Amino acid sequence: MTFTGEFIAFMALALVAIIGGVLLLNLNKVVHMVVALIFTFVSIAGIYILLSAEFVAAVQVLIYSGAITIIMLFGIMLTKPYDDSEAKTGKWRKILVFLGVVGFAIAVYLGIYNFDIKQQPSTLHEDNTMQIGKALYTQYIIPFEFVSVLLLAALIGAIILAKREDKEADKE
Amino acid sequence: MVENMLKSSPGLYNFAIFFLFGVILLFIVLGFVTYSILAERKVMGYMQNRHGPNQVGGRFGLLQTVADVLKLLLKEDIIPKVSDKPLFIIAPVIAFAPSFMVLATIPFTDKFQFADLNVGLLYYVAVSGMTVFGVLLGGWASNNKYSLLGGARATAQMISYEIPLVMSVLGVILLSGSLNLNDIVHAQQHGWFILLQPIGFLIFLTASVAELSRTPFDLPESESELVAGYHVEYSGFRWAFFMLAEYVYLFAMTALVTILFFGGWLAPFSFLSFIPASVWFALKFCAVLFVYLWFRSTFPRMRADKLMEFAWKVLMPIALANIFLTALIKSLFF
Repeated sequence: MTFTGEFIAFMALALVAIIGGVLLLNLNKVVHMVVALIFTFVSIAGIYILLSAEFVAAVQVLIYSGAITIIMLFGIMLTKPYDDSEAKTGKWRKILVFLGVVGFAIAVYLGIYNFDIKQQPSTLHEDNTMQIGKALYTQYIIPFEFVSVLLLAALIGAIILAKREDKEADKE
Repeated sequence: MVENMLKSSPGLYNFAIFFLFGVILLFIVLGFVTYSILAERKVMGYMQNRHGPNQVGGRFGLLQTVADVLKLLLKEDIIPKVSDKPLFIIAPVIAFAPSFMVLATIPFTDKFQFADLNVGLLYYVAVSGMTVFGVLLGGWASNNKYSLLGGARATAQMISYEIPLVMSVLGVILLSGSLNLNDIVHAQQHGWFILLQPIGFLIFLTASVAELSRTPFDLPESESELVAGYHVEYSGFRWAFFMLAEYVYLFAMTALVTILFFGGWLAPFSFLSFIPASVWFALKFCAVLFVYLWFRSTFPRMRADKLMEFAWKVLMPIALANIFLTALIKSLFF
């Protein structure tokens, strides 16, 4: 195996993504967890760039930077600021979980070790913003419109929920 | 030269050259920040009928900012005892790093650009959105009510104003048919986009002032309400980093306005094209920068509740109408 630049970049990004995920589960303070989440999402965007999916990478950062800051704000507002209590788990449970993780790792390793992906030449990496646009607005126009209607319904639902609370508060 | 370098095969030699260019750009930007702060104080001074800095470094106070920076570097570095130490330290770095990253894709002239990205404009918006993490983290980690309020305000404001900002450039993208900043400049050969997109330009200018959190929209750090907003507890070098991020964004945003609406490095008329591209870019850049400084010294600060209403109820509908109008014009006349 040769150490190409792509390999090193992939390893670094993947490592940061996984460490971010592990820290997200293990840290105690909400804000620290969200910071770990930022590292995961940004390094996943980096992996998209390695796959020449630049549009997806930019959108990933654009969408998640907004979403994560909102999560962080909710985390700050809805939790106690310096709560250091730890969840208690039994010894047996830890051992069982560890065995489960090891089993899963072995299964995945056996599954992908000899899995041969044939490389096909494709033009997907050229002008992929335009290609995504064309595919969305011609071949997948109906699912796309459905998704937009779904999002609109969610938006209107949120407005109605927020409004109703207001009215009840006024009555009281 | 940079273009040839971008297309050559990667190696340590290329890496060293790009690193060197990056360092040079960093120093150019630092120089810009130093003198834009001086320019800002001078412009504000003359608009308020006084002289501004005029003691340090000759009649025009040319060394005033240098002295200020030296003072900042010599200041004691204070980390509050009850703050969240790791986050308090990392927050200014998170705030500053994206501001320098966005400069990579900006084409200053046809030959001087670091990365010719196909999604250049989207990259700018996406990466600049990451600064808000630094601001919010800094506000939270200080463990101070004022700074947390400032951080929360900054978050709400930046996320709200990002939407009209992106929507107002959609008109430009429709007309030029590309997200690549080079292509957008080339599309303006026969007329700047400010002529075709006056509404889009006004929305973009307003939303960009809000994104930079400068005066009519400087609620995250409004001195009269929140002491200094999200950086109340910061001092010395760390505080300087927040300020630096703010002014590097001013640099980047001014360059972006120049590129999107004023034709970047292109000469306004073809008979004037004997003047080099960099001079044109610098001239337009200075004009746009002056507009930002002018705004700062002439507008009063907005009220917090009006600010959100303005983004969602005024700017966004106008931006949507502008997209519709642009699409109509493009399908009828182009």
